[in-house]
Amino acid sequence: MVESKHQWKAWLYLSPAIVLLLIFTVWPIINTVYISFLEGYNTMGAAAGIQYEFGFANYVNVIDYKEFVTCLTNTMLLCVLTVPLSTILALLIAVCLNAIKPLQKLLQTIFFLPYVTNSIAIGMVFAAMFNVIELSPGVIESPGIINNLLGLFGVDPIKWVTVGSSYWANIAVMVIYIVWNALPFKILILLGGLQSVNKQYYDAAKVDGTSRARVFTRITVPLLSPMLAYVVITGFIGGFKEYSSIVGIFGDDMGPTGEPFRLNTMVGFIYRAIEGSHVGRASAAALILFGIILIVTLINLYVSKKKTHY
Amino acid sequence: MSEKNNVTMQEKDLQKVSSKQKVGKIFVMIALYAFLILMALIIIFPFYWMLISSVKTIDEYKLPVPTLFPRKILLSNYVDAFNTAKLGTLFVNTLYVGLVSTILSLVITVISAFAFARLEFKGRNALFAALLATMMIPGELFTITNYITVNAFGWMHTFTVLIVPFLVSVFYIYLLRQNFLQIPNELYLAAKVDGTSDLKYLWKVMIPLSLPTLISITILKMMGAWNSYVWPRLVANDEAHRLITNGLRNAFTDSTGEVNIPVQMAAVAIVSFPLFMVFIFLRKYIMKGVSRSGIKG
Amino acid sequence: MKKVLVSLLLLVAVCLNVFALASCNKKGKLGEFVIPDGGFDTSKEITVKFYHTMGQNLSDVLVRYIDEFKKIYPNITIEHEQVGGYDDVRDQIKTEITVGNQPNIAYCYPDHVALYNMAKATVPLDVLIESDLVVKDQDDNPVLNSKGEPEILGLTDAQVDDFIDGYYEEGRQFGDGKMYTLPLSKSTEVLYYNKTFFDKHNITPPKTWDELEAVCAQIKAIAGDGCTPLGYDSESNWFITMCEQYGSPYTSATGDHFLFDNDTNRAFVERFRSWYEKGYVTTQEISGAYTSKLFVAEKSYMSIGSSAGATHQRPEKGENGYPFEVGITTVPQLNADNPKVISQGPSLCIFNKADPQEVLASWLFVKYLTTTVEFQAEFSMASGYVPVIESVEEHEAYKAWLDKGNGGDFIAALSVDVCLDQKDAYYVSPAFNGSSTARDQVGLLMQKCLTADAGGDVKKMIKKAFEDAIAECKYQAG
Repeated sequence: MVESKHQWKAWLYLSPAIVLLLIFTVWPIINTVYISFLEGYNTMGAAAGIQYEFGFANYVNVIDYKEFVTCLTNTMLLCVLTVPLSTILALLIAVCLNAIKPLQKLLQTIFFLPYVTNSIAIGMVFAAMFNVIELSPGVIESPGIINNLLGLFGVDPIKWVTVGSSYWANIAVMVIYIVWNALPFKILILLGGLQSVNKQYYDAAKVDGTSRARVFTRITVPLLSPMLAYVVITGFIGGFKEYSSIVGIFGDDMGPTGEPFRLNTMVGFIYRAIEGSHVGRASAAALILFGIILIVTLINLYVSKKKTHY
Repeated sequence: MSEKNNVTMQEKDLQKVSSKQKVGKIFVMIALYAFLILMALIIIFPFYWMLISSVKTIDEYKLPVPTLFPRKILLSNYVDAFNTAKLGTLFVNTLYVGLVSTILSLVITVISAFAFARLEFKGRNALFAALLATMMIPGELFTITNYITVNAFGWMHTFTVLIVPFLVSVFYIYLLRQNFLQIPNELYLAAKVDGTSDLKYLWKVMIPLSLPTLISITILKMMGAWNSYVWPRLVANDEAHRLITNGLRNAFTDSTGEVNIPVQMAAVAIVSFPLFMVFIFLRKYIMKGVSRSGIKG
Repeated sequence: MKKVLVSLLLLVAVCLNVFALASCNKKGKLGEFVIPDGGFDTSKEITVKFYHTMGQNLSDVLVRYIDEFKKIYPNITIEHEQVGGYDDVRDQIKTEITVGNQPNIAYCYPDHVALYNMAKATVPLDVLIESDLVVKDQDDNPVLNSKGEPEILGLTDAQVDDFIDGYYEEGRQFGDGKMYTLPLSKSTEVLYYNKTFFDKHNITPPKTWDELEAVCAQIKAIAGDGCTPLGYDSESNWFITMCEQYGSPYTSATGDHFLFDNDTNRAFVERFRSWYEKGYVTTQEISGAYTSKLFVAEKSYMSIGSSAGATHQRPEKGENGYPFEVGITTVPQLNADNPKVISQGPSLCIFNKADPQEVLASWLFVKYLTTTVEFQAEFSMASGYVPVIESVEEHEAYKAWLDKGNGGDFIAALSVDVCLDQKDAYYVSPAFNGSSTARDQVGLLMQKCLTADAGGDVKKMIKKAFEDAIAECKYQAG
């Protein structure tokens, strides 16, 4: 009796979300799957009334693309580098913020500030910071702020994002930018989590004289584990969809001058396909990406279920 | 109240620890502050950049080697920004869309997260996994289908089309569910035995306990309204419904298509200011949420 | 539980219905446009939607002439909207076409029209241009145009002749012989040079690429390593213009589209690479900014860029006037007697609609903007773009403005004047599904071939880059 009442109630509570999701999320997904099997589907052609045949050509077409592997490896590489790094940094900052008294409010405000900064501004700043201005090949006019800083430690100017820069220099800039971008959100979530953790656990630890490191690994991390699982899983999902940050630094060509699309990603590929109205191709690529993310998320969920403490 | 208690407790603790531990503690604190301040400087730099750019002349802004301090502070950029962009209407529109969608979105998120966290029903885990899966498809692909859908609904050029399609965020439901899961189930069962209704329990116990998270969601959602660009431009880019980002992007383009970035930055700073104030105001509530979060047992 | 299931099923059904409805809308195809019997109906209220990219100062000019137009055709209301830049206009229309929501008139580049034509969305203008139907008002009297003459629907022979030929023919480059666009205002590339510096060192502005190379060497010898003598803004334009000057294949609107991988093209690219290596030249992408930045900072002494951007090539005015005077001339040529310069700037296209009267009203407005001397003159003065009809040069205020042209305060007038002098030299490249991809790819190709580490074998690197570019064109277009 109680059970079935629960059932009914649960669906009632979920109904607004489900209705909206059905219309604006599930339906587009179904449509995407459908279109991905229409061979060579093109929105402009469809508007002109062309009928498309059913088949796997779009999938073949995506995998056949000679830069497909580049897109895939870039996506994975950025994901694997940025998610752990940003999570650990955010956790450290959140714990430190939670541990201090003076200046706490000010620092907290600063760490959340990027939320009220416009993304146009951020992209331009990073690009300017890493930019090396050359008057002609080999004649450097301005090495940029970052190289100036490194110069203090005796490091020769490195070309980060400009003509002739190396792949790993590009990746390094992207990692810094993506981590920077991800930090405020993660700090916000983790600090929110930390602050709703019951203080009594800490008081108990204090009484017992437990060391800081032990408090961190034995109390803080386990209590935060649902939030950590959240930021890691959404971080991976977001990471696999990396695109706009690369455009923010490198522009629409997604690579330094002379090496266009060197940093292209899966979503970058999808975007280009949509831009060319090749929605069939884009849909197939999106479903391939979906398959990859699904596998990674299942692994994540499996691990976090084992490690998460509720 | 409890803050005071904490302070007195710490003072007592301090008296107890030996001088050696004291030195260690000071050292740790210095390291902590050094780390936090360094990170804060890194984080804040682009914000600083936005502000100094907003007072530069366009010629200074375009210098090949950017200046860290403006040579000439040009406050007229702010006046220009305010006058050219018709900020008034844009502001009201954005505020309206932001507020309505935030409130509705919060309601939906809270009851959905509650259902997932507290109610047992068949297919709960499967449904939750399915929701997570929807996050994995790049949303850009939805645009085309959704465009066709809202057109069929006759929603073009209305506020509805700016609010309704994005009310449900799986991200937020997931986030809040994670938070709800931390609240011991015993509290809910006890409330059930007392005959407290679900909604009352939600309102009296769950919401206060997860206030920090709810505020985070509010900030994110408001920022979303502030920063959304592609969808509004597509479905409601008329004078009566235009939102701030769209207004800003087009207002400062000259005849050759070059954007006057300093003035644009000034406009961004103007529109960011209220958000900044809201944020400062809400931050207090985050702290309040903290002091309330102790579960009296 | 059952109730819930039933309601969920119902919901899915509703969703599917909505979709069916949506796809029905989409399938309501429009037939080919024909002029309705009786021509334009002046008694029916019609609203025409016009997408453009004009900033505030140009919109002001437009609004004034929309009001003038309304006096001639009180039943037509023009709603104009600045959608953003050219790409924004294209992207927005691309989506709107899928549900038939496209505007009536849009700012366009030929590549955009090629895209719209895949959806058969635009109206070929030939029938409209050729129509000699007299436009009648509600009392069956002929409508009088701004000169007080009876207005015909089409263009008169005098009006067609008045268009600058190169601009007019641009509307007919889509491979099917039909006319799809009318030019609104045009620009081209010009060579800006530091006149003060050139005069001081007795350097003559180069007319050919050979002369340019010599001038670069000369400047390099005077100004040293700290300067790059020439900045060329658009790598794509550079490549395409060279193809045109050599007469070597670039693309074709029909058959095999991508023809730019050939010996001539590889040779000129290799030559420019040697210039880059000697520090003679840089481009917008390579230098990371519009090359005008280098030019105004006197880090370069020549800059090739859009004629409409003349004010950006002028240094900031100091207390003693401008730090240097700007000179403007034609871009270097292979053969100075047979010059070729690229044609840029917005044209207008008209979209098909279920109501043919909307198409006619759109046409009348397009015709008004492109053939009205006063509008063309004012628009040119406000924007620095070149007018598209010859008779503007007889307009008194415009003539006075042109006469004031100099390398300082009136640099826009000087630039327009230079463009008008070379109006026979304009070329256009074919537009087809994939022409914008080709344009992007040759730009990227140019960047790569100039800068890439060749590993000792320049020819091999260039050959590979060309092959990759062709393959990429074929993939992105097909």
